Amino acid sequence: MRRSAARKSGQSNSIAPITSSAADLFRSASSKASSKEMERIDNLFYSYANISSGLIDPEGIENLCSDMEVDHTDVRILMLAWKMKAEKQGYFTLEEWRRGLKALRADTVNKLKKALPELEKEVKRPSNFVDFYAYSFRYCLTEEKQKSIDIESICQLLDLVLGSHFRAQVDYFIEYLKIQNDYKVINMDQWMGFYHFCTEISFSDLSNYDPELAWPLILDNFVEWMQEKRT
Amino acid sequence: MSNQKKRNFQIEAFKHRVVVDPKYADKTWKILEHAIHEIYNHNASGLSFEELYRNAYNMVLHKFGEKLYSGLVSTMTSHLKEISKSIEAAQGDSFLEELNRKWNDHNKALQMIRDILMYMDRTYIPSTHKTPVHELGLNLWRDNIIHSSKIQTRLLNTLLELVHRERTGEVIDRGLMRNIIKMLMDLGSLVYQEDFEKPFLEVSAEFYKVESQEFIECCDCGEYLKKAEKRLNEEIERVTHYLDAKSEVKITNVVEKEMIANHMLSLVHMENSGLVNMLLDDKYEDLGRMYNLFRRVPNGLLTIREVMTSHLRETGKQLVTDPERLKDPVEFVQRLLDEKDKYDSIISLAFSNDKTFQNALNSSFEYFINLNARSPEFISLFVDDKLRKGLKGVSEEDVEVILDKVMMLFRYLQEKDVFEKYYKQHLAKRLLSGKTVSDDAERSLIVKLKTECGYQFTSKLEGMFTDMKTSQDTMQGFYASHPELGDGPTLVVQVLTTGSWPTQPNVTCNLPAEMSALCEKFRSYYLGTHTGRRLSWQTNMGTADVKATFGKGQKHELNVSTFQMCVLMLFNNADRLSYKEIEQATEIPASDLKRCLQSMACVKGKNVLRKEPMSKDIGEEDAFFVNDKFTSKFYKVKIGTVVAQKESEPEKQETRQREEDRKPQIEAAIVRIMKSRRVLDHNNIIAEVTKQLQSRFLANPRRLRNVLSLLLNEISWRGIPLTENCTVILLEGIA
Repeated sequence: MRRSAARKSGQSNSIAPITSSAADLFRSASSKASSKEMERIDNLFYSYANISSGLIDPEGIENLCSDMEVDHTDVRILMLAWKMKAEKQGYFTLEEWRRGLKALRADTVNKLKKALPELEKEVKRPSNFVDFYAYSFRYCLTEEKQKSIDIESICQLLDLVLGSHFRAQVDYFIEYLKIQNDYKVINMDQWMGFYHFCTEISFSDLSNYDPELAWPLILDNFVEWMQEKRT
Repeated sequence: MSNQKKRNFQIEAFKHRVVVDPKYADKTWKILEHAIHEIYNHNASGLSFEELYRNAYNMVLHKFGEKLYSGLVSTMTSHLKEISKSIEAAQGDSFLEELNRKWNDHNKALQMIRDILMYMDRTYIPSTHKTPVHELGLNLWRDNIIHSSKIQTRLLNTLLELVHRERTGEVIDRGLMRNIIKMLMDLGSLVYQEDFEKPFLEVSAEFYKVESQEFIECCDCGEYLKKAEKRLNEEIERVTHYLDAKSEVKITNVVEKEMIANHMLSLVHMENSGLVNMLLDDKYEDLGRMYNLFRRVPNGLLTIREVMTSHLRETGKQLVTDPERLKDPVEFVQRLLDEKDKYDSIISLAFSNDKTFQNALNSSFEYFINLNARSPEFISLFVDDKLRKGLKGVSEEDVEVILDKVMMLFRYLQEKDVFEKYYKQHLAKRLLSGKTVSDDAERSLIVKLKTECGYQFTSKLEGMFTDMKTSQDTMQGFYASHPELGDGPTLVVQVLTTGSWPTQPNVTCNLPAEMSALCEKFRSYYLGTHTGRRLSWQTNMGTADVKATFGKGQKHELNVSTFQMCVLMLFNNADRLSYKEIEQATEIPASDLKRCLQSMACVKGKNVLRKEPMSKDIGEEDAFFVNDKFTSKFYKVKIGTVVAQKESEPEKQETRQREEDRKPQIEAAIVRIMKSRRVLDHNNIIAEVTKQLQSRFLANPRRLRNVLSLLLNEISWRGIPLTENCTVILLEGIA
């Protein structure tokens, strides 16, 4: 089965050579503009950041959300974190903030809010979605060296991330997760496996599922359970 | 304040930005309605499950659950109404097949629909307490198909018709039956019971009522039971193949009631083939079948038991009161043992060793054995016969078997002390005449009696064995210390401890000089080693071997009684002796002497004496001579003694004697009880004493009361009469 695509590599900033011309003027103007923009972005950052830590912490995020009139548990915040490539759940660093807002071309709260629908569309694109899907798992690994997530959180995450696309699969899989006793946590491999399951396997007949292939065992069990319910 | 712990995402459902208006709901419902139609028309493959699921999900999410649910109900109902028509249209045998086919279709459709509507099942339905989808589907099927007026009755009749056909021997499609019945069960136990089971049971009862009546009129008992068993097994098999397991006990109850319970008495008492006939002919298989069938119905086994008991008691009573049988005690007891064996076999082979039957057998035997007062004596005679000769050549194990069986009969006796008395007499005779076939068998029986009745019962009997052994040792010691006696007549003495042996009357008899001298020598030898004892010679017992030479020189060895020896020895010194002379010389009592002389003078082949006149009776003036013309082809001749005439009313005497013997036992029991209880009221005394004496004899309450009052009077109770209400108090100083 396909594995998740490699993460997008970070963008490197191009360094403008020192030559004078209209392009230069334009460049210097745009760089002026961009530095102005960056300034505003930074200012926005500091308006939400915690002074002592120099980061936006959960409280700051909550304030941001309320200013954007978006619930802080809304999936779009997760999408925002993805865009920023935020490492730690509940916190944004300055670098991450800059990265995200620059990409979204937002330097005020209003602009940020307006950028959200576009962001949604972007995430939904198949090429991006796999990445977003994988990102959302990693984002929930809050402890150091944590490799898996407990079932209850997984159920919530599945609903949040996949619910709109694969309502039936998510609902049935969540039901199964709650009943089964074999697994108390889910790892990345199983997490990704489920996504591929949703996109490849015909539901709810499951006719093209082949347990001989390298599906995670938990999915084999899930399929067996679904088939037993049928009889 | 949100905490960024692991459980960060307290997620609310992600809100799809969909416009929530009624048009949306209608559109979505149309999609779903169409899907349901496709599903019922076997066109489901073209549908996208995920899409339909999401549509249903959204409807419920946006509070259109009511519309979805009611739409489901009406869509399904309309489909079921169509299905109903197609089933009604089916002809003949295809009716059930069509019903079955449509039922399977409906289930498949229902499954799919339920899967699509799972979200509604999980959220909307519980909160509004509506019927879940699957159950709803079953209920609609029940209401529109099963309970439709054109189907309901037809279905029941078809099913019952098939059962009836199968009962009359036809082969039916059991698989189809099973599916249809399972359908009814799936619809709920109420449906199964009301739409099938109840009528089924009623019809079955009618069927078996009629059939059992036919059978009873044309079959004998054994055949009838076979048929009943067959029907019972058929019904059980029917249940396993296509009915609900819970119906088994109900239908078997019907068969049991109609075929067995209602005809129980007719069967048991059927002429020439009923229970009594089966018992008489040892029909184990039939009896076993009757047992197994009757145990299923109330009072079934009780009925068998009662009839068996009364038959057994009747047979037993005839056995023990039949005058022909009473002539041969050994045969009498053997017949009892055979009867016991017969019923033991029946109970073990046919009645599966049922304890209640065993008890009935025991109580019946106890009842009739004790109807004949001579049973204890006869049993002792039987044992006597066996120990004298019956057990010769029998293996050790078989001996044990026979003795154990005898013990069984012994246990039934109420008057065990009477048995003891006879047994003692018979044992004494066996021991003294050396006529026992096996010492081991004798001892084995004593041990069994001891186990059954306790040490006291057998202590005297054991004493008899000890005396025999001791006497042997004494004789050895006597001859060892008197070597000079080697040439004279050989004396063999059995020293019997009084009390252990049956009491004998003391009889006078003058021994010949040689004998009395020898006897005296023995007496002084014995008393020399056993001071403080008294020896008295029992001349009415004992034998002597006498060598005689007759007129023509013929020599014989005569084995005679002691009395006969005394008489014969007189003729060493005289040729002719009158009765009076003999009487004077021997001092033997008249009746014994007369019989003794008769035995030697009047019995053919044993007439070593000659009498004048040659009459049978002995007169005072008769004269006796040695019969020189005596001949016998044997060298050794045994001369018995003519048996005495029975005294008048021996039985009454025996009874009186027995009561006398029992009095001390009763008194001892009373004293034992009072010593341990100290204070006890009258009724309880009687009860306790009866219990204590049970192992020896059945005590008569009036007799007990008599003995008790006598005992109290002896202890000078101030002559106050004993009443039922008084209490007896043990005072100190009373032994």
